[in-house]
Amino acid sequence: MNALIRLEVLRTLRNKKFMFFSVVYPSVIYLLISGTQSGAGNVPGTDLPLQAFFMVSMASFGALTAVLMGNSERIAKEREKGWVRQLRLTALPGRGYVLAKIAGAAVVTLPCIVVVFVVAAVAQHVRLETWQWPVLTLVIWAGSLVFAALGVAIGYLASGDAVRPLTMIVYFGLSILGGLWMPAATFPRWLQNISEWLPTHAYAALGQAVETGGAPAARDVALLCAYFLLFAGGAAWLYRKDAVKA
Amino acid sequence: MTTTAAGPTAGPAAAPDTAVVSFEDVSKSYGDVRAVEGLTLSLRPGETVALLGPNGAGKSSTLDLLLGLRHPDSGSVRLFGTSPREAVVAGRIGAMLQSGGLMEDVTVAELVGLVVSLHPRPYPVGEVLARAGVTQIADRMVNKLSGGQEQRVRFALATAGANDLIVLDEPTTGMDVTARQAFWATMREQADAGRTVLFATHYLEEADAIADRVLVLHKGRLLADGTAAEIKARAGARRVSFELADAADAAPLRELPLLTSLEITGGRVRIQSRDADETVRAVYALGLRPRNLEVTALGLEQAFVAITEAEEARTA
Repeated sequence: MNALIRLEVLRTLRNKKFMFFSVVYPSVIYLLISGTQSGAGNVPGTDLPLQAFFMVSMASFGALTAVLMGNSERIAKEREKGWVRQLRLTALPGRGYVLAKIAGAAVVTLPCIVVVFVVAAVAQHVRLETWQWPVLTLVIWAGSLVFAALGVAIGYLASGDAVRPLTMIVYFGLSILGGLWMPAATFPRWLQNISEWLPTHAYAALGQAVETGGAPAARDVALLCAYFLLFAGGAAWLYRKDAVKA
Repeated sequence: MTTTAAGPTAGPAAAPDTAVVSFEDVSKSYGDVRAVEGLTLSLRPGETVALLGPNGAGKSSTLDLLLGLRHPDSGSVRLFGTSPREAVVAGRIGAMLQSGGLMEDVTVAELVGLVVSLHPRPYPVGEVLARAGVTQIADRMVNKLSGGQEQRVRFALATAGANDLIVLDEPTTGMDVTARQAFWATMREQADAGRTVLFATHYLEEADAIADRVLVLHKGRLLADGTAAEIKARAGARRVSFELADAADAAPLRELPLLTSLEITGGRVRIQSRDADETVRAVYALGLRPRNLEVTALGLEQAFVAITEAEEARTA
């Protein structure tokens, strides 16, 4: 299984175009958003200035993009081309493929998060305590695994032409409603009620908690763990179902 | 997962009374399409078996069921007395699928190395590459290979370790004649080493030349099971053809018991018969004066066409 994980990581690193855009894209959006609004006040509902708030949002958003897009399309393509069938003829357990895909995605998220941080620190002069930088990186990186599992599940759920639209709907739906693009506190009440239960909301909240100097709320961590179990369990179930059907 | 039944590290591990493959009344439908219907068969250790059938006969479905890629609606599929998945996990099966894709963005050596490392009873990577004839292209990216090269890489994956059964679905598709001959020479070595080999093909000469046993599949059912010679005999082994001044005189020949088919075009009469000598004798006994009499052996191809056509006629 380790051999497969190693090879998946290697393949991701070789895919230079995907790496480049995944790493650069969230930083560009960060600059666009934080640059246009030069208000000095804090973001509504938080103790954070806009530049710091969006640094976490965009690092989370970038990680989400990389793992969701990378996994779902790639898996759907590999199912179509029959590589998954070939792999089923080896002794590799089903979870091996899913784990290798999550590991491969995790390689992209790390530079993506770090680059957003560097851009925020250099261009927008975001300043944090020294301990906060590594902890933030770790928290956002670990949280992205939830969405890597979701990407695997989508890759098994949809095939062919349906993958991209489905990924897009999930991706924009989760990032906008979860408050990655604009603070959820600016939403109408009913939308906030929905937003609170989304994994992206809990995901961004993890980083914001660290940024304001506290520990992540137990509720957010629990919610993310529940979503991880749901997505990973769903992916494993779909993998088995695919074995019977595909 | 069971690995206790792994057996010795190479060669045929099945006890003589344990079938390598055993299908018991296996059926599989996709919606309204019955892909496999009431299939019962058993492969013995060391056999080289060809699975023949026209497109849509159920060859690929049968192999999918055998490998555990699909589950039957009814009936049971056992490999070495265990489930297909258990046999795969124990490293007893190597398979080369038509529908089996390759991992992209890696080199041939990396891909083969991966499958070797996943095999419970692996061979050294260099040996696997050499046997499949892909040592020269080991550093090439998998997505830059030609069709024939891809097939050889698939073969490398199917022989990454000491398998007891090798399953090949149309293995020589995309290979030129030389590559095809080299491929079967390698395959024969595998068979000589005591492995059981099952291959699906639509090149009938391959089945004729290589298989000890031929299974003819048609519309998901097993139509014939025997050596190539037996299949040919069953179809009407010989073709007798001759010319007559008045071809209408040949009509009484239809009553002959040994005929499997008779066709008259122009002045020429073509007969397929299980006993050519007896047929020729009958022709003369009828007082006919045949000219340009020819007696030829049927190829497996014609035998195959004859068997499937007879089945079509029976079920129509």
